[in-house]
Amino acid sequence: MNHEEILSVVQEKFLSSERVTAFLCDAKVLQPDCIKKDRLLAIVEYGDEKAVFCLFTSCYPPKSFTDLSIEIVLPIDNSFKCEIDNKPSDPEAILYLNLQSRNSKFKFEIQMTPRVDNFVDDLFRGIEAVNKLPTQPEFVWLKKYIGQREDDIIAQTMVLPRSGMAHTQVSAPVTIRESLIKRKMSDKEFEYTFTKRFTIFCGTWNVNDKSPVIPLKAWLCVDKEPPDIYAVGFQELDLSKETFLFDQTFREDEWYNAVRSNVDPRAKYVKVEIVRLVGMMLIILIKEKHMSHVRNVVCDTVGTGIMGKMGNKGGVSIRFDLHNTSICFVNSHLAAHVEEYERRNQDFRDICNRTRFVQANQLPKAIKDHDQIYWLGDLNYRITELDPLSVKKMVNENNFAPVLEWDQLRQQHKINNVFAGYTEGTITFKPTYKYDPGTDHWDSSEKNRAPAWCDRIFWKGNNVTQLAYRSHPALNISDHKPVSALFTSAIKIVDEEKYRKIYEEVIKQLDKLENELIPQVKVDVTEIDFGTVRYLELQVRSITIKNTGKLPVEFEFINKMDETSFCKEWLIVEPYKKCICADESCEIQLKVLINKTSACKMNAGTDKLYDILVLHLYGGKDIFITVNGTYQRSCFGCSIEVLVNLNIPIREVPVGKLIELESKRDQCISNQSTYSIPKEIWFLVDHIYLHGLKEPNLFEQPGLHSEVLQIRDWLDAGSIDPIPGSIHSVAEALLLLLESTADPIIPYNLHPVCLRACANYLQCKQIVMELPEFRKNVFLYLCEFLQEALQHSDENGLDAKTLSTLFGAIFLRDNPNVVQEPQSRINKQIIDKKKAQFVHHFLVNDHSDLIFSR
Amino acid sequence: MAREFDHLFKLLIIGDSGVGKSCLLLRFADNTFSGSYITTIGVDFKIRTLEINGKRVKLQIWDTAGQERFRTITSTYYRGTHGVIVVYDVTNGESFANVKRWLHEIEQNCDVVNKVLVGNKNDCPSRKVVVTEDAQRFANQMNIPLFETSAKENINVEEMFLTITKMVLRSKLEMQERQNVTANDIVNIKRTKTKHVKKCCQ
Repeated sequence: MNHEEILSVVQEKFLSSERVTAFLCDAKVLQPDCIKKDRLLAIVEYGDEKAVFCLFTSCYPPKSFTDLSIEIVLPIDNSFKCEIDNKPSDPEAILYLNLQSRNSKFKFEIQMTPRVDNFVDDLFRGIEAVNKLPTQPEFVWLKKYIGQREDDIIAQTMVLPRSGMAHTQVSAPVTIRESLIKRKMSDKEFEYTFTKRFTIFCGTWNVNDKSPVIPLKAWLCVDKEPPDIYAVGFQELDLSKETFLFDQTFREDEWYNAVRSNVDPRAKYVKVEIVRLVGMMLIILIKEKHMSHVRNVVCDTVGTGIMGKMGNKGGVSIRFDLHNTSICFVNSHLAAHVEEYERRNQDFRDICNRTRFVQANQLPKAIKDHDQIYWLGDLNYRITELDPLSVKKMVNENNFAPVLEWDQLRQQHKINNVFAGYTEGTITFKPTYKYDPGTDHWDSSEKNRAPAWCDRIFWKGNNVTQLAYRSHPALNISDHKPVSALFTSAIKIVDEEKYRKIYEEVIKQLDKLENELIPQVKVDVTEIDFGTVRYLELQVRSITIKNTGKLPVEFEFINKMDETSFCKEWLIVEPYKKCICADESCEIQLKVLINKTSACKMNAGTDKLYDILVLHLYGGKDIFITVNGTYQRSCFGCSIEVLVNLNIPIREVPVGKLIELESKRDQCISNQSTYSIPKEIWFLVDHIYLHGLKEPNLFEQPGLHSEVLQIRDWLDAGSIDPIPGSIHSVAEALLLLLESTADPIIPYNLHPVCLRACANYLQCKQIVMELPEFRKNVFLYLCEFLQEALQHSDENGLDAKTLSTLFGAIFLRDNPNVVQEPQSRINKQIIDKKKAQFVHHFLVNDHSDLIFSR
Repeated sequence: MAREFDHLFKLLIIGDSGVGKSCLLLRFADNTFSGSYITTIGVDFKIRTLEINGKRVKLQIWDTAGQERFRTITSTYYRGTHGVIVVYDVTNGESFANVKRWLHEIEQNCDVVNKVLVGNKNDCPSRKVVVTEDAQRFANQMNIPLFETSAKENINVEEMFLTITKMVLRSKLEMQERQNVTANDIVNIKRTKTKHVKKCCQ
C-alpha cells in the first residue's frame, strides 16, 4: 500500500467534512505511558479547527477504517505546544515529538522519513492559524470521538483506556461498540416499540407587521379534539429596521402570548421551544402530559435574505424526540416576487443544507435526519401565465383546479426541484394572498397581481396522515390569511420491558463478537522434553503456533515477574516475537545448549533443565510452555576441587553427592583428596605427552567436534579403551575442559595483581605460590607439560609466545558475570599481552623450585 | 449513553485442575458447554457486560491454569483483580480440601478482594462427595458466600457471577464514598502517591 492508499483508509475513519491533512506511521508513544506497539498520528481539519489524533492500528498497514481506533485526541488550540528533539543516540533517524494540549503532555518517537517534514509543517501551520483566530475554537466536532467524557472536552485529557498486555487490565476495546449498539437497537426498533397516534396542528401566517389585535381562536381552536402538539409559524412579525438589524422585537412576546391564550382550552399545553429570526417565528407547544417524553430539543435558524445570509428571509427550525420518534418542524419565508421561483427553490435547498442541530456527544443532525418533518411557511410561490382577472374569477367560484395547474410550487414540486420527497395535501381553500388588510377583498393596489397560495404546509415521514388543510379567512388583519393543517401521526413508543430484553440481547451479541475478536492461537505442543542433554551438544525442538482467530495476532515471549529475561540462559527461542495472520502458522525453534556457564550451575544444582515460558498474545491470553530435559553430568563445568575428589567416572557419582561436593569446594584440602590434580586433566595431558608431542600444529589445529564429544563421553563414563579421536581433538578437549572449570585456574580476584606483576618473574612466582592448592598444582603441571612440548618445537612447530597467549587467555579468563566496561581494542590487546607475559615466564624459566616447595 | 461502560472489573477464577473453571467461564460468557476436557495451559480471558442498577459493568474474567506446576506463575496474574472465584469440584474431595491453599494464595497476592466459593459439577447427586453442609460451614467460617453450580446444566452460574459482581461494585462505591469523605484531608498525600504509581507498564 502506498501513502495515498493508507491516507484514504485513515480518511474513512472520519467524516468527509473532517479532512486528514497529514499523517505518520510508526509513531511510538513514550509518555505518559510507554507503549511498545506503533501508532499512527494524523492531523485532521474541520473548518478552521485542527486536531492531532493518535490511532491504534490492529494491523499494519490498515486495510480498512475498522482496523483503526482512536486513542488520543489533542485539539490544536491556544494552549497547544509542539517541540521537536532529536534522539541523542540516533539524531539522524529518530525524532521526538513533544505535544502539549492543556494539561496533557505526550511524547512520541517517530522515524525520520520524508513524510515527517510534511507532517510537522502541517502541525505548525495549524498552531499559527489558531493563534490568529480572534476567539478560542470550540472543537464541538471532537466530542463524538471522545464519547465517554461528558465534560467539556477541552478541559480534559482525551485518552481512551487501552493496553496491550495480559498483565495489565483492559482487553482490546471495540471502540465502535457504542455505535454498533445504537445501530443494532435501531434495526430492532420495531421489536420493542409500538405506535400511538398523536394529532399535530401546524399553522402558518404572514402577519404583515401587525400586532395580535384580534382573537386567534378561529385559527387555532377549530378541531373536534384538542391536538397533542401545536406548531405555529409566523412571518413578517415585525418589518421595522431595528428588528432587521438588531433582531429584537416586542412582537415576539405579543404573538407568543396570543397563541398561548388562544390554543384549545380543553387541554393544558406547555412550551417545547420557541425560535425566531427577525420576522420568522416558530412556536411548539405540547400537551403537558407528553412533555416528559420530549427529549433533545434543539433549534436552528438560517438566513437566506440579503447577501444570502440576512434573516429577512430564511427558515427557523425546531427538532425534538417524542418518545422514540424524531420530529422536525421548519417555518420558512422564501424569496418574494413573482418571477423569482428559482430563487425560492434555492432558499429551500439552502435551508436544508445549512440547518444543523448540534447536540452534545452526537453527530450534528440535519433536517432530513428525522422520522417526521413538517414544513410550513410563506413559501411565496405564485400563479404565472394566467391573467389576474380570470384567476380571481375562477377562485371566486371555488374552481381551483385550473388555477393550481399554474401554481409555481406545484410545478416545481412535480419535477422535484423543491420539496422532493415531501407531500402536500389537496388545496380546497382560496388563495391566501393578497388581500386588502381588514377585508376579504383581493388586493386593490395598482400592481393588480393574481392571487396566490403563498402560505403552505408540507410533510415527510411514514405513518403521517393529513386530516385537514385549510385557510382561515376570518382573520383578516394581514394581507395574508392564516393556513393550518391537522395531522394524525404515528409516534413510536418504547415498551420498556421489551427494550431491556432486546438491549441485553444486543449487548450479549456484542460481547460475543468481542470475545471472538480476542486473539486465539493453537500451539501444537506445550510441553517440550529435550530428553538427555549433554554438554555442548545443541538440541533443537520446534513448536507450531497457528492463528485460529479472525484477526492477525502478535505474540511475544514475555518475562515472568521479577525475571530479566523470558527464558533461562541455556535456551534460545527463535523467533521470540512475531505477527501471524489469520489461519497462518509460525514455527518456533527452541534450542538447548549447555555451555560452560550453565554447566557449572547444573553441576552445582543451582539450575535445572526446566523452564516455563510465557507466550503472550497482544490483547489476548498467555500460554505457558514447559521445557524440560535431563542434563547428563560431565566433568566439563566442574570445579577443580571437586574433580580431584572423584576417583570414579563422574556419571557414576550420585547427583546429590556432586551437589554436596560443589557446595563445599572451598573447604577442599589436600590430605583428604584423592588426587593432586583432576584425573581428567591427567588423562588428556598424558595422552598428548605419550602420542602427540611431535604432532605438527599441536594446539593450533582444531579438532573435530564429534571427536571432542566422544572424548567427553570417554572421560565422563570411564573406559578401559584408549582415548578416542585425533591428537588435535584431544588437545581441544583439554583446552575446553580447562576453560569450563567452575572457577578459572587463577581466581578472578588475583587477575589485577597478575597483570600488574607480569613484567616481574619473581612477583609472578610469588602469586603462583599463593594460589589455592589444587589450582597451583594444575597450573604448574600444565606449565611443565608445555615446557616439555616446547622441547619438540622443531616437529610440532610450537613456540613459547603462541602457547603463552593461548594459555594466558585460559588461566586468566575473563569473568562472564561481570559486565565489562566497553574496552577499546587497544586496551584489550594490552591486557591479553600482559596475560601472555605472565604465563610466558613459566614456559621459559625453570620453576622446579616451586614444584619441590610442596 | 455515549459510553462503553461505567465500571470495568477484573475477575479471576482459580482452583484445582479439572474442577471446571473454564467451563464456568464459557457458560457465563458464551452460554455454551463442551463435554470434552481441555486443560487450560496458561491464562485466558473473556468479557461480558452486565447492567446492574442501570450501570453498565464490563467484566473481564480471567481463567487460570489450575495445575500445581503453574502456581507461581499464575499468582502473578492476581494483580489488579477486583474479585476472585475459588472453584472446587463437589465430586472431588481433594479439590475441596485444597480450597484453603487457594484462599491462602489470594491472601499472599492480593490486597482486599471480594471472594466467592463455588462447588461446581453439582449435577449428579450420586457422585457428590462434598456435602453442602460441610461446604456451607466452611464458607461461613471464612465469611465467603457459597454457590453450588453446574456449568453443564447451567445451574446457578449466572447468579454466582452476578453476586460477585455486585459485591465488587458495592466495594468500589463504598471506597469512593470513603475517599470523598476524607478527600480534603489527604489531597497532598494522594498526589505524591499517584505519581509513584504511574509507571511504564506496557
